[in-house]
Amino acid sequence: MKLSFEKKCEIGFQYVLDLLEPCSCYGAEYIRTLVPYTSAQRSELMCELDNIQKIISVYEAEKAVFTKLEYALMHLKDIRPMLNKCRSTSLNEVELFEIKRFLLTFKDIYPAFCHISEAASTVGLELVELYAALDIVDPDKTGVPSFYISETCSLRLREIRKEKKNVELLIRSKSGNMDDLMIERTKIAAREEEEELAVKARMSEGLRTYLDDMLADVATIRRIDVIIAKAKLAMDRNCCCPVIVTDSFVLEDMVNPKIGDGLAEKGKSFTPVSISVQRGATVITGANMGGKSVALKTTALNILLALCGIFPFAKKAEIVMLDDIYIISEDLESIDRGLSSFGGEILEFNTVVKKLDSCSMVVLDEFARGTNPDEGAAIVKAATKWLQGRESYTILSTHYDGVAEHAGAHYQVIGLKNIDFASLKSELACVEAEKSADRIAEHMDYGLYKVLEKQDCPRDALNICRLLDLEPEIVELAEKNIDNLI
Amino acid sequence: MKLLDLMRQYYSVSIIGMCKNAGKTTVLNRIITEMAEEGICFAITSIGRDGEGSDVVTGTHKPGIYVPAGTLVATAFDMLKYCDVTKEILDATGISTPVGEVIIFRALSDGSVQIAGPSLVAQLEVVRERFREFGAEKVMIDGALSRKSLCTVNLSDATVLCSGASYNKDMDIVAEDTGYISVLLTLPVIGGGGLDEIISQYDARACIAVYDDMSHKQCEPKKLDVVIKNAGGKIRYIYFGGAVSDVIIKPLVMSGASFDGITFLASDSSKYLLSRHLFDKIRAKGGRFAVMSGVNPVAVTINPFSAYGFHFDKDAFLEKVRKEVTVLPVFNAEDMK
Repeated sequence: MKLSFEKKCEIGFQYVLDLLEPCSCYGAEYIRTLVPYTSAQRSELMCELDNIQKIISVYEAEKAVFTKLEYALMHLKDIRPMLNKCRSTSLNEVELFEIKRFLLTFKDIYPAFCHISEAASTVGLELVELYAALDIVDPDKTGVPSFYISETCSLRLREIRKEKKNVELLIRSKSGNMDDLMIERTKIAAREEEEELAVKARMSEGLRTYLDDMLADVATIRRIDVIIAKAKLAMDRNCCCPVIVTDSFVLEDMVNPKIGDGLAEKGKSFTPVSISVQRGATVITGANMGGKSVALKTTALNILLALCGIFPFAKKAEIVMLDDIYIISEDLESIDRGLSSFGGEILEFNTVVKKLDSCSMVVLDEFARGTNPDEGAAIVKAATKWLQGRESYTILSTHYDGVAEHAGAHYQVIGLKNIDFASLKSELACVEAEKSADRIAEHMDYGLYKVLEKQDCPRDALNICRLLDLEPEIVELAEKNIDNLI
Repeated sequence: MKLLDLMRQYYSVSIIGMCKNAGKTTVLNRIITEMAEEGICFAITSIGRDGEGSDVVTGTHKPGIYVPAGTLVATAFDMLKYCDVTKEILDATGISTPVGEVIIFRALSDGSVQIAGPSLVAQLEVVRERFREFGAEKVMIDGALSRKSLCTVNLSDATVLCSGASYNKDMDIVAEDTGYISVLLTLPVIGGGGLDEIISQYDARACIAVYDDMSHKQCEPKKLDVVIKNAGGKIRYIYFGGAVSDVIIKPLVMSGASFDGITFLASDSSKYLLSRHLFDKIRAKGGRFAVMSGVNPVAVTINPFSAYGFHFDKDAFLEKVRKEVTVLPVFNAEDMK
């Protein structure tokens, strides 16, 4: 599944990734390179979701242990380059220092995680204990995060250092020819270095036995860190654990955090969106500016999140495994390539059409809106009819009439449907003319409702004209025109 | 007389040189010996690279930095192999330099070390704080070459200025310039009084005129003479965000304007790149110089030996420098043992 960074940003996926707060460099790297689970990885995804749910269930009760674990994770540095280097050559003292520091931190991580794992009965997250590896780099069992080549490792080193110390004492007390003493000292220091090299080689050799265990632990820590981050986000935002099903998507009361947080800053709130998507085509209609795109993006976002093992921002989510999600919207890239936005859209759509199978989803945002309305409507109708006959999933938004009848399901943005026009009109009478458009927007209901019988796009445009006191004669003429159309 | 006596109350001390071979390392070793005698736990680092066995620029022999066991050292990874003390690695700081990551270690034996500390002042600040966590009672910062190292003095609580024969063949010039630099380093510090707020409103490199009523405006540095003439004696400060150079000051001096009551301000002493005679002329015409943040020089040391094959008579040199440097004590670092 390949979604460009721009598309991820557009639907608000990147925003959610940024909300995740892993503690370690490993977790941060995992999130940077996060890809959705494919249809072949169904059981892995279910296991991941299950683990997150389990972590959530014990988080409050085990908060103290989690805090300790997270604190330890924060102190990890990436030691993988050193481990890989260690396979073929010996490590220098700074690298050994880093490994010792890792193993000391691991000494805190291991019991904390074992405790949590037992309490939550997580699956497939086992750490290998590494105390023996720590003993290699900390032969004196100091337990402090500093590294020196201990004399415990080599009798010869002990002798050399004693010798060096004696000369240093002579230098300090200035007893003897200083130049000779300094040369003498340099010679001993060279022997010390040689012996230290031998010790470092032996330590590296000793570590080699544990390299695979350490790398495996790093990989597990990477996952644990991300699972905790995902669990915390789900708790923070009241996300739900998705259920993996085989046939159709059911998403209830979804929110798009990127748009929602933006609205919250302005003191407004996001209207939750609910939708079910079956194989074939599902159409969302609504007046201009009525929130069709938002509903579409929110749906695509939450499906993608679930497939990445992140709890969707919804009350309920039933998700089908997908291999691909294609999002086609009037994008700016095609303009960069010198195509009209319509041309770009068609080219993109055509490449997608050739790849569609039962594990793909196409999201079309106001498809073919860039061309003339008559032909545009004809193209969208045809595309909908064709897509309805496929095994793949399609969600498309449109403001063209007559498209929905070719689709399997039809949703409409509630908009001003449930508004009492008389009372809104009297409310607007007390507001300055320039502010009435904003006031109408506040009354818009951006939620979706399922249209059960044939119905065209809502006629909110005319209602809005009336609310905004457009010249009555013009409104009347427009009404007549619409009647003629139908 | 101990150099240490001049810097007892300060946590961090920087050592800066007027030139290469000014005797910085000699001074550093002197202070190190004094600290070792008293059992002070100290740390050492530098801004950039220094402390090579032989001078990479001139090829002359340079004294190594010889530290006692217990010293904390921050140096770049590639320098570790030249440090022949037994090391206990305490931290890998993540600060990178052209010669590797800056590593902090504790010397477990006496021995010589090569220091290449962080290249940026902000990184040096991180290292200084790490030293404090590891229990250092004092931090010595070896400044590299002259102008650049002046910046490090902002980070240190006290500074030693080193001067020497390598600066110039002419002893009088060395003495005069050392005197001038010591004057610049001891310029009065003007802080508060709303000046900081005024400066922060402008671009970092802006030249700002501040009037008696604390009103202010930005001006073109090369047209300062006009600004001063038009102000009719009402300018209190002229602040330079960038360097104060001859190009800016010369037209001012030539304009014949009076600088009575005017204080020329720079952010710190390192910004004064002005020739001595112009500096003196401004002062003769009533102008004053000051800095926003000061350096705290505690001593000037001299090295009569040059890296270029000649040397001064040490007593005559010391006397000349003492005559020029009236505000600070002057020592011959070699003679203090």
